[in-house]
Amino acid sequence: MIHDYLSLSIVLFCLGILGVISRRNVFTVFMSVELMLNAANLAFIALARLHENMDGHVLALLVMAVAAAEAALALAVVILLHKHTGKVDTNVFSLLKG
Amino acid sequence: MLSQWLFYAFATIAVFSALGLILSRHPMNGAMWFVITLVSLAGLYSLLSASLLFALQLIVYAGAIMSLILFIIMFLNIQPADIPDEKGRWAYLLGGCLAVVPIGLLLLKIVKTLPEGEIDIVGNGFGNVKSVGLVLFRDWLLPFEIVSILLLVALVGAVVLAGKKEMNQ
Amino acid sequence: MAQNVSYLGMIPLLPLIGAALVGILHLVTCKRKRLPDRLYAVLACTAPVLTFVLAVKVFLDLNGLPADARALTHEVFTWFEVGEMRISMGFLADPLSSLMLLFVTFTGSLIHIYSIGYMAGDESFAKFFAYLNLFLGSMLILVLGNGPVVMFVGWEGVGLCSYLLISYYSEDRSNVLAGNKAFIVNRIGDFGFVLGMAFLFWAIGGSGFDYISLKTNAHLLTPATVALVCLLLFVGATGKSAQIPLYVWLPDAMAGPTPVSALIHAATMVTAGVYMVARFSFLYVQVPTVGLVVAWTGILTALVSAIYGMFQDDIKKVLAYSTVSQLGYMFAGVGLAAYSAGIFHVFTHAFFKALLFLGAGSVIYALHHEQNIWKMGGLKTKLPLTYKTMLIGSLALAGCPPFSGFFSKDEILYSALASGHTGIWLVGVLVAGMTAYYTFRMIFVVFHGSPRDAHAYEHAHEPPAVMTVPLVILAIGALFAGFLNLPALFGGSQQVTHWLAPSLAEHPHEASHSTEIIAIAASVAAFAIGIFIAYRKFGKGAEAPVYSGFSSFAYHTFRINELYDVLFVRPYKAIGSAIGNFIDAHVTDAPVQLIVWFYRQFGSTFKLLQVGYVRVYAIYMIIGLSVMSYLLTQSFK
Repeated sequence: MIHDYLSLSIVLFCLGILGVISRRNVFTVFMSVELMLNAANLAFIALARLHENMDGHVLALLVMAVAAAEAALALAVVILLHKHTGKVDTNVFSLLKG
Repeated sequence: MLSQWLFYAFATIAVFSALGLILSRHPMNGAMWFVITLVSLAGLYSLLSASLLFALQLIVYAGAIMSLILFIIMFLNIQPADIPDEKGRWAYLLGGCLAVVPIGLLLLKIVKTLPEGEIDIVGNGFGNVKSVGLVLFRDWLLPFEIVSILLLVALVGAVVLAGKKEMNQ
Repeated sequence: MAQNVSYLGMIPLLPLIGAALVGILHLVTCKRKRLPDRLYAVLACTAPVLTFVLAVKVFLDLNGLPADARALTHEVFTWFEVGEMRISMGFLADPLSSLMLLFVTFTGSLIHIYSIGYMAGDESFAKFFAYLNLFLGSMLILVLGNGPVVMFVGWEGVGLCSYLLISYYSEDRSNVLAGNKAFIVNRIGDFGFVLGMAFLFWAIGGSGFDYISLKTNAHLLTPATVALVCLLLFVGATGKSAQIPLYVWLPDAMAGPTPVSALIHAATMVTAGVYMVARFSFLYVQVPTVGLVVAWTGILTALVSAIYGMFQDDIKKVLAYSTVSQLGYMFAGVGLAAYSAGIFHVFTHAFFKALLFLGAGSVIYALHHEQNIWKMGGLKTKLPLTYKTMLIGSLALAGCPPFSGFFSKDEILYSALASGHTGIWLVGVLVAGMTAYYTFRMIFVVFHGSPRDAHAYEHAHEPPAVMTVPLVILAIGALFAGFLNLPALFGGSQQVTHWLAPSLAEHPHEASHSTEIIAIAASVAAFAIGIFIAYRKFGKGAEAPVYSGFSSFAYHTFRINELYDVLFVRPYKAIGSAIGNFIDAHVTDAPVQLIVWFYRQFGSTFKLLQVGYVRVYAIYMIIGLSVMSYLLTQSFK
């Protein structure tokens, strides 16, 4: 049974990766990253249940805190991006072009 | 039995709404799909006897974070013209599937080595606030403090980044 | 057996120390307060005089030894030892080298003293003497060396000093070019010399590469090897001693100061080739055909340069071509295996040619560096001492009995006739006549008649004693040196030939007295006819002739320099520029440029991956991750 939960976690994680690499919209990319984080949370909690240990819950809590902080900062950057260019496209800045 | 059906239901909803997130064009739609994903995940947490996290997921993630995202999406007043015109996304999606499959297979393989275990709902305070708090403030005190500093940093950073222009004027 | 002495090494060392001392003093003080010339003069002239004293000592010591053991050796240090080759810096004094030592140091000392007067007031007075001492040191290494390698060290040293001294007046580019020409043409000859040495070593060098060992092992060589070695060594001699085809540098070398021409290009350096052939007489005697090649090259050179000498306007060029001509005689002598005759001519030639050059220097000095004979004339009243000494030198050169040149030249011509080479003898007699003609043309035009340039004539005066005393001493030598090798016909005992016999592999010619008398009569007749024609044309004062036709061709030395320029210099330069512009840039550089191009292409290809979109970089990461997980999955099975 645990395997099902973990397989679901893996599927969600892979969907998150797909979202990151195939979309150009800033918000979609950001939310795909959050999706990956949630998949990791699921895996933590499933394994905590398996071992009957609280550590997984604590870790999942800390991950959530980090995700919140990251969300705040990423959205601040998105606002700046929109201010400068009026677009929400990740392809706008290509200054690193070699 | 019931938990099994619930699991399959929640799992299906989660997967489909994730798909909805990564395929939808307007970020608003994607955000909505994502909220559904988060709620179904909360349901899965409750099936795993993680009562505190079930609540926190709904409060923090689906409540605070998603509302922040939605707020920003609406604040920026994205017009259809601003949304990037992603012509090649199906090609990228297909290629991405190809790239992602080995990763997933490897992870599945790893997962299969773990022992099977019963996951009925556990009683006697497993996963409730008290037990999580005890572990958090005894064994994980240092990471807790560091995360609180991290939140402070995020706070300051957000103010600096988003408030720059007003401060210059 | 050779006796080991320890003072032989001092003989070349003293002039080298002198050169170093004078050179360092000059370098250190030339930008600040200059030291007085007198100091440099004293410093520079002590070494040659000391070497002359040591040379006399060597001669006396050798004389004290029995005739078959006349050799003094001195091994200073082992130079290098590689495999079976062991070369030491060693010196050998046997009769041949002691004779050479005597006249080299004697004329060297006299010319050093003469130069004090000639170069007085020159800016780089000290530099001149440093180079001159260096030259003397190298020449002594050449003469005293105990093997071909040590001789080659001296050989190259004298070549270097020749270059340094020819281009001494380096402000004028043509002098520098003349110095370059001398060095480069010498180098071409040296290539032959080195090849000859290499073959010799390859054949018999394993058991010692010095003259004594080579002489004992010479019978082990095959005739072909001997012929090859002798020819290659002779190529070196044509370069150093200015024979056909490498004589073209010697007339240009007259750009150097006159004492240099006297010492280097008359008395000492150019005779090194003859000395070398005489040294290797034990090889040359085995291959008479190569000797014949040497003899014919020599006598033809004598003929051609005598023709050039008859039409030159520059007093030094006349003497230069005369030197080439006399060197041809010497090679004719040693080529016909009359080694002692050739060396004896070297000996007498050193005296009268140095005398003639120093006398010409005297004239040039008196007329403030005028060298064209058609601007001179009637100088015998103004420069009596110079005139008398130059007359003695010219009579010796032209082969007038009883001056020294007559006896030495006659030895060679007699050997030619006695060994049956009448062709060589006839050409030699013709050249003797031409020698008398051009020598006295020069004397009559310069000293007799009326002055052609009144202004220069007014200011001419006899040079100071420091320049005229060496002239007198050399004149005495030119007069009496011939009596050292008087043939039996005149009641002498051929002392020089007997003295040299242990060093040379010579078989004396025995021919009838009548052959000797014919040879002598022919030589005297040639001399008389030559001087008579010169007197008829120039004795009463003549005007500068206008050359046309053959005489113009001869005046321009048969355009040989232009021929060499077209045949060798220009194609060589063209090859050089072709290599420089094309091959260097495209062929030798090609691998480097290929690597550069390859790196550029590599770089440009990878540049395509740097798109600048961070999303694409994330895609790269995921691709990497998936490849890695695929590989891990494989190993998991």
